[in-house]
Amino acid sequence: MIAPAAAAGPPRVTAIRSFIRRRRRRPWYDWYSTGFAVVLAVILLWDLLAQPFGRLNGAGSTGGIGGAAPAQAVAGAALVIGAAAGLLVLAQALGPLALSPADAAWLLLTPLDRRDVLRRPAAATAGIAVAAGGVLGVLALAMAGPFLRLPNGPGAHRVPAAWLLLSAIGGAGFFAAGMLTGVLAQPWPRWRVRLRVAGAAVGVAATVGAVAGERWTVVSRAITDGFARLDTGSFGLIAIVAVAAAGTAALLVRRMLPHFPAGVVRAGSARAGTVLLAAAFLNVPLLTWIAEDSHWRGRRLHSRPWPRRPAFAPRLGPAFVLAWADWRRLGRRPAVLAALAVSALAPALTGAAFTGRAHGWVTAAVLLAGAMAAGTQGTAATRRDTNDPALRRLLGVDSEAALAARAVLPALLGAAWLAFALALLALTGELPGAQWPVLWPVLGLAAGPGVAAAAVRIARTAPINPADQGPDAPVTAPPWLLTRAGSLLLGVAGAWPTLRAVYAGHAEASTFGAQVIVAAVVLGGYLMLAARSGS
Amino acid sequence: MRVGYGSFAVLEDVDLTAAGGEIVAVTGVNGAGKSTLLSCLAGLHRPAAGAVTVLGGPPRDDAAFWRAVALVADEPTWYPGLSLREHLELVRLTHEPVRGWCLPAGELIEMFGLAGRADAVPTDLSSGQRQRLSLAAALARPSRLLLLDEPEQSLDPGFRKELAGVLRQYAGHGGTVVMATHDLDFAAAAGARLVLISEGRVATPGSVP
Repeated sequence: MIAPAAAAGPPRVTAIRSFIRRRRRRPWYDWYSTGFAVVLAVILLWDLLAQPFGRLNGAGSTGGIGGAAPAQAVAGAALVIGAAAGLLVLAQALGPLALSPADAAWLLLTPLDRRDVLRRPAAATAGIAVAAGGVLGVLALAMAGPFLRLPNGPGAHRVPAAWLLLSAIGGAGFFAAGMLTGVLAQPWPRWRVRLRVAGAAVGVAATVGAVAGERWTVVSRAITDGFARLDTGSFGLIAIVAVAAAGTAALLVRRMLPHFPAGVVRAGSARAGTVLLAAAFLNVPLLTWIAEDSHWRGRRLHSRPWPRRPAFAPRLGPAFVLAWADWRRLGRRPAVLAALAVSALAPALTGAAFTGRAHGWVTAAVLLAGAMAAGTQGTAATRRDTNDPALRRLLGVDSEAALAARAVLPALLGAAWLAFALALLALTGELPGAQWPVLWPVLGLAAGPGVAAAAVRIARTAPINPADQGPDAPVTAPPWLLTRAGSLLLGVAGAWPTLRAVYAGHAEASTFGAQVIVAAVVLGGYLMLAARSGS
Repeated sequence: MRVGYGSFAVLEDVDLTAAGGEIVAVTGVNGAGKSTLLSCLAGLHRPAAGAVTVLGGPPRDDAAFWRAVALVADEPTWYPGLSLREHLELVRLTHEPVRGWCLPAGELIEMFGLAGRADAVPTDLSSGQRQRLSLAAALARPSRLLLLDEPEQSLDPGFRKELAGVLRQYAGHGGTVVMATHDLDFAAAAGARLVLISEGRVATPGSVP
C-alpha cells in the first residue's frame, strides 16, 4: 500500500506559487472589489491631504506672519511624526513580517527555502513602508512649507522639485528603516517591547512638542526658524542618511530571512490574517478582542473579591455586579486610561494642523471618533457577551438590566474624554466662542451619554460571519457595512448639538440644554430598543 | 526540559525518549502541557531549560528538519479556490524530490473516505472530513517523525480504528509518531506507548495493555 514515490527536481517557491495561482478560481468581482477599495482609498486620502499638500504651492509666502501660522506648522510636523510612530507601532502589531494564513499553513513548515518563502512578504513590507514613508516625507515638507527659505529667489512660492524628491526619499528611507527594524526585532519579544515603547515615546514627544508650540510662540518660532535654515544640501544629507539606514536594515533582514523562526511567522501570520479580515469587514469587536487577548495572555492576575451588590436597587444589583467586570478590567489597564487622556489632545492638533483653525469638520469628526473610542474602552464585557452570550445566561442576569448597567461606564468615559478634549480646545484659545468659558467642557459631559449609545451598539454588533453574507452583490452596500454605519450615525445623533457647535465654533447655554435632552433621548431610546430586540 | 508561557510553567522536568518505529501517545488532563510538548518537539517553542533532541539534534527549523518532520496541530487555513485534491498535490510539490515512504494522494483520498469530495473546497467539508484531510496531508509526503495533536478529534469511532492502522503502518516503515490524545482506546489500537503528563511532569511511563 505504501509505495516510494518518484523523485523530481528540487521545489522552487515560485513554481509552488504559480501552481496555486493557476488553480485558484477567483471571481471577477473579487478584483472589482479590490480595485474599487483602492480607488476609494486614494480619493479619500487625496481629499484629506489636498489641503496640506496645497501649502507646497504657497511655500515661503506666510513665514513669520501672525502668531497662529508657526503653531500650525509645528502641530503639522508633530502630527506627521506622531503618525509615523503610530504606523510603526501598528505594523509591529501586525507582524510586521507575515504570510497569508494559508501560506503559513502550507509553505512554512516544509523543506522550501525559507528566504524564498519570506522574500515576497518582506518585499511587500518594504514596499508599503517606502510608499507610506514617501507620502509622510512630502507631508512633512508641506507642513514646513510656509517657513522654508526657497532657493528660487524672492517672490517664488513653489517648492523646488528636488526638495520634494529628496523629502520623499528621506521619508521613505527612514520609514522603511523603522519598519525593517521591526522585522529584525520580530523574533525577540524583549526587542519588540522596546521598539513599541520607543514608538510610543516618539509619539508622546511629538504631542508635547505640538502642545508647547501652540502654547508658547517662542517654541514655535524656534522650530520654524529651523525650517528656514533648510537648504538643498540639508535635504540631500537627510536623504542620504535615510537611504543608508534603510539599505543597512534591508541587508540585515535579507541575511536574517533564511533563519527567520517559523513559530514567530506562524503566530504573526495568524494574528495579521485575523486582524486584516476583521478590518476588511470593519469588525471592531473582533479587532478589540484580538488586542485584549494578546494583552492578557500569559499574565498572572491578583484576584480580588467582587464588590457587594448595591442594596438600593435589588433588581439592578446583579446587573451592576456583572457590569463591574469592565470597571475592574479598566482599573487593571492604567495605560489605556493614560492613552485616552493623551489622545484628548488630538482634536486640537489635527484641527490646527489640517485646517489652521480648531473648529470645523475635522475637529468635530476627531472629537466624535475619540469619544466613541473612549466609550468602547468600557464595553469589553458587552462585546464578549455578544460573541458568546453563554456566560451571561449562566450568571442568570436580566439582559435589560445588564444593558443599562453596562452603559454607565462608556457614558462616563465618553463624557470625561469629551470634556477634557473640549477643555483643552478652549484653554488653547482655539474654541473661544462660548457664552461662558466652562461651557465647552460642560457640553462634553452632557454629550457623553449620547456617544455611549454608539459605543454600546458597536459592542453589541455581532461579528461578521462570512457565511451569512447573502448573495454576492458587488454594486450595492453590503448589509454589514450598513449595520456598522448605524453605530456612527447613532454617535452623530447623540452628540449632535455639541458637534454642531464645534463645527460653527460657537456655543450658547441653549446648546447645553439641547445636548442634555438629545443625549438622554438617544441613549434611553437605544437601550429601550436594544432591550426589546432581546439579545 | 522546562517550558513556560509568560510567568506560567507548563512543563517541569520532563524527560522523554521515543525510538524509531515507535508510537508514543502523550495523555493528560486539559492544560497538562501535551500540545506544548509537541510544539517544543517541532521547534516552534523553545524550552526555558533543558534540551530537545529530534532525529539526532536540536530542532533546527530548516529544510532538512521539515523534510523529516510532519506536524498536524490546529486546523490549517485552506487556500480559497483550491480543491481538496489540489491541497494534497501541493503537499507533494513542496516536498520534492520525494524520497522515502508516503501514501499517494489518490490512495489517501480513497482510504480516508474523501473520494466523493475530492474536488470540493475544504471549507465545504464537515469538521471531521477536514480533520481527515489534515491528517492525509501529513501522510502524503515522506517523513521520519509525525507529530499529531489530538488526531482523533471530530473523527468517528470507525475511522479512528482505521487511522490507528495507518499509524501502525507508518511506524512499521521506521517512522516515529508522537501524538497528544485523550482517547486511550485509539492509543491502544495504534499500539502506542502511553505517557501520562500530570502537573507538568511525566507521571507514568508504560504501555497500554
